This record gives sequence, C-alpha cells and structure tokens, in this order.
Amino acid sequence: MPRIIACYKWVVDEAYIRTDSSPELDLEYADKKMSDYDRNAIEEAIQLYEKYGGSVAAITVGHPYDTKGVKDALSRGPEKAYFINDPSFENLEPAQTAAILADVITAKTEYDLIICGEGSSDLYAQQVGPRLAELLDIPCVTMVSKIDLAGEQLIAERKADDGIETVSLSLPALLTVLPDINSPRIPGLRDTLAASKKPVIEIVKDELSGNFAPCLQVLASFKANMERNGQKLSDEAADIAFLLDTLQSKGIIARGVK
Amino acid sequence: MAGIWVFAEDYEHNLELIQGGTELAQKLASKIVVILPHNAGNDEKAHDCIARGADEILYLPPLAEDEDFMACIPLIVAEVLQEKPDVFLIGSSLRGKELAARIAARLNTGLCSDCISLELSADDQSLIMERLIFGGAAVQRVSIPTRPQMATIPPRLFSPAAVQEGRTGNIRELPPAPPSKVKILGKKTRTHEAAALTEARILLCVGRGVEKEEDLTLVRELADLLGAEIGCTRPISDEMHWLPEECCIGLSGIQVKPELYIGIGVSGQIQHITGIRDARIICSINNDENAPIFAVSDYAIQGDLYKVLPLIIEGLKK
Ligand SMILES: Cc1cc2nc3c(=O)[nH]c(=O)nc-3n(C[C@H](O)[C@H](O)[C@H](O)COP(=O)(O)OP(=O)(O)OC[C@H]3O[C@@H](n4cnc5c(N)ncnc54)[C@H](O)[C@@H]3O)c2cc1C
Ligand SMILES: Nc1ncnc2c1ncn2[C@@H]1O[C@H](COP(=O)(O)O)[C@@H](O)[C@H]1O
Repeated sequence: MPRIIACYKWVVDEAYIRTDSSPELDLEYADKKMSDYDRNAIEEAIQLYEKYGGSVAAITVGHPYDTKGVKDALSRGPEKAYFINDPSFENLEPAQTAAILADVITAKTEYDLIICGEGSSDLYAQQVGPRLAELLDIPCVTMVSKIDLAGEQLIAERKADDGIETVSLSLPALLTVLPDINSPRIPGLRDTLAASKKPVIEIVKDELSGNFAPCLQVLASFKANMERNGQKLSDEAADIAFLLDTLQSKGIIARGVK
Repeated sequence: MAGIWVFAEDYEHNLELIQGGTELAQKLASKIVVILPHNAGNDEKAHDCIARGADEILYLPPLAEDEDFMACIPLIVAEVLQEKPDVFLIGSSLRGKELAARIAARLNTGLCSDCISLELSADDQSLIMERLIFGGAAVQRVSIPTRPQMATIPPRLFSPAAVQEGRTGNIRELPPAPPSKVKILGKKTRTHEAAALTEARILLCVGRGVEKEEDLTLVRELADLLGAEIGCTRPISDEMHWLPEECCIGLSGIQVKPELYIGIGVSGQIQHITGIRDARIICSINNDENAPIFAVSDYAIQGDLYKVLPLIIEGLKK
C-alpha cells in the first residue's frame, strides 16, 4: 500500500498581474492560489490512495504566511501536510526548492511514491520534480498521463515529443503528472472544515541541514507588455465586411479567389 | 580551453544550438562539443556537425530497445565532471527538459529553463539569460554563478549553423550506459507537424468556445478559403484531443508569428497569449465582452462564433 507524497506550490495568481504598460512587476496586491497543475498532482495521489490504499501527505516549501495554501491542499484530500517555511523561502529557485524538499523528505518522511506537477504556475521551470528524484536517488518519469500500480511495480504512460511511452519502474519513485491525467475535484465546505482538523507538521529553517545557496541568480524581473490598441467590432455583417476590407487593403488576405 | 556543450533530441534543433554555441564560442575562445545519439556505424551526421562548427562529437552509446533514454545521464555527468565545460545548452524537448534538470541536479549547477534570450555579460564572464514567468506575464533575467551554466533552449531561438570550409574535429564514443531503472514496455510513435504552424502566414486558433469536434469543419472551411493553418489552445489538444498536441500554441506549446492570427472561442489566458505575442495582427472572436483576449487584440469581434464564422466565409467568397 503506497505511502504517497504530493508536492505543491502556493503561488502568486498571475491573473493579478495588470497588463498596463508599466514594466514594473508589482505583486503587492496579488492574491495567491494553488499552482494549477499541482491540483492534478494532489488529485492523482488521492485517486491512487482510493484505489490501492496507503496514505497521502502534501508537502510544500514557502513563506510562513502561506497557511491558507496548507489548508487548501488539505481540503483536497491528503491526511496531513508538511509545511516547510521561512521568510526567505518565498522566491527560491528550483535547485534550492528541490534541495530543501530532499532534505526534509529524507529526514522526516517514509514514502513509496512522490508526485509533482508538470511545472509550477509561476516559474514553470519543470525542474523541481526531476531534481528532487536525483537528490533522493530514486527513479523518475516526467510528463505522466496514466499510472497503474502492481505491488512494488509501477506502470506509467509518459508523453514525449515523438509519442507516448509505456514504462515500468519500481518503487520508491518520483513522477511528474500532466493536467490531463485527471480532473481535480473541487473541495466543498465539508472538505474545508475537515482540512482544519488535519495535522500540519511545520518545519522551520533551523531544522534543515544544508545552506541551500541559489544556483540561479535573478538579476531582474519585469512585466511583459502585450496590450494592443484594439478596435472593437460587433458580429453584424457590416462590421465583418469592414474587417475583411481592412485586412484586404493591408494585403493580408485575398478575396473572391474561390 | 573550457567548452560549450550542446545536445538536442532533434537533429535540426541540434544545428541551431551549434549556431548559438558558435556565437558564444567566438568571445569565450572555447571549443564546441556536440552530443549525438548513437550513430549505428554512420558518421555522416558527425561530419556535418563538424563542418557546421563542432570541434568534438561525443556519441552516446547504443541503448537496448527497452532502455530509457535517461540511462545516458551518468555518462554525460561523468564527461562534464572531467571536461568542465563552461556552458551546456540542451534542446527543450520534453525529454530534453527532464535530462537537463537531472544533469543539473547531479552537477549541483543552475539551469535556465526555456531560455528566450541569451547573451554574454559585459566582462564576457557569464551568460545573461531571460525566461518567462507567471505564464508569460513577466520576464525574468537570470545568471548562473555555478558551472557549467545550463539552459534549455526552445526551437528556432537560433538559425541552423551553416557549413564552413575546411573544418576538422574529433569524434569519440562514450562507454556503454549502466542499466536504467526505468524500462520501456511499449511506444506509440507519432509524427511531428508543428513546422507548418510556425511558418504559417495566417493562423486560425480553435479554443474551447467551439462546442463540438464536428464544428471543426466550419473552421476548416475558413482555413481553406484563407490558405490558413489551424492551431489550438491546450484544452483542445490535450484534453479534447481534437487536434494533435503539436498544434497547441502557448507557453507549453509552440510560439507562432503569423501575419494574421484569428482566435475562435479562445479566452486569452496569459499562457496562451504569450505564444502569439509576435503575431502582426491579432483578431479574436468571443461572445464574452470581458474576455481577456480582447485586450491584446487588434480587432476584437464580440459575438457568437457560429454567427461570425459564416459571415466571414460568405464575405470572403464575394
Ligand atoms: C503552466 C500552464 C501552462 C499552460 N500552457 C498553455 C499553452 O501553452 N497553451 C494554451 O492554450 N493554454 C495553456 N494553458 C492553459 C491556459 O491557462 C488556459 O486554460 C487555456 O488557454 C484556455 O483555453 P481556451 O481559451 O480554449 O478555453 P476557455 O478558457 O474555456 O475559453 C473559451 C472561450 O470561448 C468563449 N466562447 C464560448 N462560446 C462561444 C461562442 N459560441 N462564440 C464565441 N466565443 C465563445 C468563452 O467566452 C471563453 O472566453 C496553460 C496553463 C498553465 C497553468
Ligand atoms: N515550493 C515548492 N514546494 C513544494 N513543491 C514544489 C515547490 N515548487 C515546485 N514544486 C513542485 O515541483 C513542480 C515543478 O515546479 P517547477 O520546477 O517550479 O516548475 C511543481 O508542480 C510542484 O509539484
């Protein structure tokens, strides 16, 4: 019966990044959310648990303020959460995050399977999962769209650019999952209430062994401006005719050829 | 002489990385090392790479059919530790990204994922790289204090390296790989068609606003009239599977730069929009007046696509 750890990140919701023309990335008023594809990682852990038994724990590295994220994660089904936090753990780069997770997972947990999302919504580096597997020295498969367990053996389908591979590996292992692997359930009021009663294991910086220096230095971050001064059109024939005339006069489309 | 190493699954992509590496190599006075898949006794590709700028070719050993490609990781890591390259560029295919992250972890070095721009710092000592964050809503500029400096590079960031006269280089085969912990049981291969989309002059994009797969005939009719290619948002390719996955435009799909893009029932979430930022004209059809795509459109048609598409088709036939 697999003991599963689902890794999630509580991220700034990119929808709050205003698309005005100022280049400054001001995140002060931005809300946070569960990283989109980590909902699939947690859901997959829960579905495997429902099928094969065992247990599911959620784990995250973040800022001490991110308790809302811990509750959100627990409302999605895991029985407990590991909350590794420090004020300096807000803008970690993937190598640091993976090293911190590896440190805690080795020291404080027992596991058979670790599930990560395909990539985080904010950084989308697609690094933390495979890096973590290497640090733990366990087999790793990324971009997984299907998982079956048979005892210690795991069968997965993984996406590659040239097709789908079916692979087998033995536990313990780490997988990163694609969003099409499942449809995450939406937590209800009862799930939210249940979440506040579940155990949260807090781990602070002093309990970690290592210095976790960044391997990637951020020199600057700025907003990408994609706004265009668009012309609003209706779905009336006159507006569509205007559009086609304009595109034709710009030499972009040709008409009446067929 | 520290090296610049490149690896890409796809041969054409590999030639682009040689070009990127060559531009750096001139300033860093370093050699270019290309890692190629096993050659099966045919050195044609190796000689082609050398003619295009490679100083050394490292052949990966042959792998049994059930061996995972990642079995090569320890071999590559051992070579890197011995040769100490300065820069290691890897093509950002799905396998390439996993390979890069795992190699970077073993080397305890930094990796810039999906690098969109790369140049040398003023003192020529390190790379300054840019990548997208927040789904493409922002850009992050990074550097890597550790060595090698690693990056995954999307297709077409560089043009393919050209053949030069009189170049020579070494060819070497890496030792056999230890057995991988992951075994391949089966493979369903499929062919790539993405090239047509990245070259398209006019591109129609199908979004979730299109109700049924049958309705694609309407889109195809319009595409035929315009001589356009058809792409889609991620839900259409990855969830509905109405179009192949390589038709997905955006952060996790492809980057396009057509003269005209028409979004058909596309909401315009940032992860999609970031893939069309270089389009010359963006036109969108959406029945929600608050659809985010309208803010990034040159022509924003608010209306039902089932009314608008027939009107456009009719108008084009006139
Ligand atoms: C890390 C990450 C990476 C991602 N990468 C990508 C990517 O590369 N590419 C990508 O596309 N997405 C990507 N996504 C997903 C992205 O966030 C959006 O979910 C997706 O682009 C939405 O697709 P859509 O516009 O087709 O669907 P929806 O958001 O559901 O929009 C459908 C739209 O159709 C309109 N509509 C409905 N009926 C009609 C009608 N009759 N007429 C006209 N309009 C109608 C609706 O108003 C709505 O705006 C990514 C997400 C994450 C988290
Ligand atoms: N701070 C974090 N805490 C826990 N898991 C994380 C964290 N950051 C990333 N992950 C996991 O690693 C995956 C890939 O993240 P990234 O490498 O940032 O794209 C995410 O989908 C999560 O499953």
